[in-house]
Amino acid sequence: MTLGWIHPGLVLILGAWVLPLLRGRIKRAAMLLLPAAALVLCLASTPGTHGVVRVLGQELVLGRVDATSLVFACVFSLMACIGMVFALRVEDDSRHITALTYAGSALGVTFAGDLLTLYVFWEVMAIASTLLVWQSREPSAVAAGFRYLLVHVVGGLALLAGIVLHWSRTGSLAFEDMGAFSGGAAWSLILVAFLLNAAVPPLGAWLPDAYAEATVTGAVFMTAFTTKSAVYVLIRGFAGTELLVWLGAAMAIYGVVYAVLENDARRLLAYHIISQVGYMVCGVGIGTELAINGTTAHAFAHILYKALLFMGAGAVLQTTGLRKLSEMGGLYRTMPKTLGLYMVGAFAISAVPLFSGFVSKSMVVSAAGETHRTAVFLMLTLASAGTFLHTGLKLPYYMFFGREAHRPPDRRGREPPANMLAAMALAALACILLGVFPGLLYPHLPNPVDYAPYTLQHVTSTLGLLGFTALGFFLLLEHLDPEPTISLDTDWFYRRGAAAFVKRIQRPLARLESGTVGEIYEFVIRRPVLGAATLLRRFDSVVVDSALVGAGRSTRSLSRLLKTAASGHAQHYGLLMAAGLLALVALAMLAR
Amino acid sequence: MSFLERMLADPVRRSRLKRWFHVGLVVVVIAEIALPLVFGGGAAHFSFENFPAWGSIYGFVSCVAIIVVSKLIGKAWLMRREDHDDS
Repeated sequence: MTLGWIHPGLVLILGAWVLPLLRGRIKRAAMLLLPAAALVLCLASTPGTHGVVRVLGQELVLGRVDATSLVFACVFSLMACIGMVFALRVEDDSRHITALTYAGSALGVTFAGDLLTLYVFWEVMAIASTLLVWQSREPSAVAAGFRYLLVHVVGGLALLAGIVLHWSRTGSLAFEDMGAFSGGAAWSLILVAFLLNAAVPPLGAWLPDAYAEATVTGAVFMTAFTTKSAVYVLIRGFAGTELLVWLGAAMAIYGVVYAVLENDARRLLAYHIISQVGYMVCGVGIGTELAINGTTAHAFAHILYKALLFMGAGAVLQTTGLRKLSEMGGLYRTMPKTLGLYMVGAFAISAVPLFSGFVSKSMVVSAAGETHRTAVFLMLTLASAGTFLHTGLKLPYYMFFGREAHRPPDRRGREPPANMLAAMALAALACILLGVFPGLLYPHLPNPVDYAPYTLQHVTSTLGLLGFTALGFFLLLEHLDPEPTISLDTDWFYRRGAAAFVKRIQRPLARLESGTVGEIYEFVIRRPVLGAATLLRRFDSVVVDSALVGAGRSTRSLSRLLKTAASGHAQHYGLLMAAGLLALVALAMLAR
Repeated sequence: MSFLERMLADPVRRSRLKRWFHVGLVVVVIAEIALPLVFGGGAAHFSFENFPAWGSIYGFVSCVAIIVVSKLIGKAWLMRREDHDDS
């Protein structure tokens, strides 16, 4: 590895194993120092190619550092810092190790300059995030974790197959723009794997399934890395792919539609991750400088506000044990600080002026406008209204205001511990800083920025859009009451579909097994094996045994002979020696 | 935050809050119509963006459309009992 560049991801992955050795304050300090060190390393990285290693005649690049990878790496590290502050009081080392490994592998994906390195970190990320789901240890979480793992193993296999095909065809493992191979098998397989991690429907049902089951702190980490690292690799490999424009726009609306029906607070927020990642996927598809800048800026802003929203919902879940909106209500009395911080995140995701979403989301929407895509522009704007409707109005209304369901005193809620509030405050501060001073982020985007978010038209039309969305919400409030239902999604295929499939094929499969397969087994394996065994036994009893018996018999007769000679009397031995001497003399005379 | 509690618990203050919300909406609509006339339109990408109070109208239409269409799809197809997956 080149001296002078230390991989921030490896610092997290390896450094995490120090935590179990530490205790008390020193451990807490280490938990914060590790991601802080990663952030400093990212900020101190100079653009260029670092960490080149040769394996099996292939050049692997662990550190492709440029504007695009740096901005993603910085926000990933920053998110790891905030996440660790949020998880500071968790007394379970395995959770910290998993979370840091997860964040570190996302950094590994971001800095990967070749497909093999990318694949390795991709899989580590999948395993670490599965553990984050399982660590909640509820039966429902274990099941969701298995479904999550199943989907991501399929995605990982598609990626591996694509990489091998691409390698065999081009002889190169370099991870560059894949546009030249558009439509080929390798291109399609790699794209499918990336789209699966970006949770693009119909490949995205794993996201609300798993994120709503993860631990309170684990879910905060999960919101940041898997989908956004997928957006990053899409920017690297598939910028300007027209298919992505439509998938992204459809995704933005899909998330909004499901959010209307959703009753579980964290699932609702998870559907809005899908919706927001839709903007990014759409931006990657548009592929212009403005669109790529918008995608990157939106990923940056999204990671921070989404973590803040999940921390808010997580704080409610932790202190009340409630996850369904239909059971909440009235929490503003007991959790006003959580409410205030949550609302900063809600305003940021809704692109309210002076909050981060306003300066990032609008870049993607403007890019759609600039390229004269009327339908996409209208779809994205509609999804904007939907985002405010749910995250900014419906969720806080039913969670913090609204009718207060009758609850025992231990479920009335209280403010979360100081470290959780501090993590939320940090994320909220970032949301506001980015919104008020977009100049903090814009110079670090992949392309030069020539975009002014605060124009008169943009501000007034956004306020109009949001204000009248709120009016619509209050007018239709009674129709929005959360219902205790769940919604069908594409995970039906592996939840119910797979079970029904197995049920249906069980009988024919059993018949096939006992009939055809049994016969084949009898003739191909059992009989030949039995025959061979009989032959071997006969060989054993006839050849091996008789050889042994024969050897034993001859040894016995020989020893009998020797016994006669070894009588123990000195005169017999003297006689034998004299006979031997006589024989020697006779031999010598004859030989002459 | 007893301020919030006072605002929401008292019906008089609640209705005052509602009134301010409506006043705010009217101000936004007027701003959306008047400001481009005073300062000149911004760099709109499409002609429909120059329609008076475009943002407000589209926001309201979007909100209603999302709620109505989603609920229709939900009732007709997607929504199931909570024990659906366990059955």
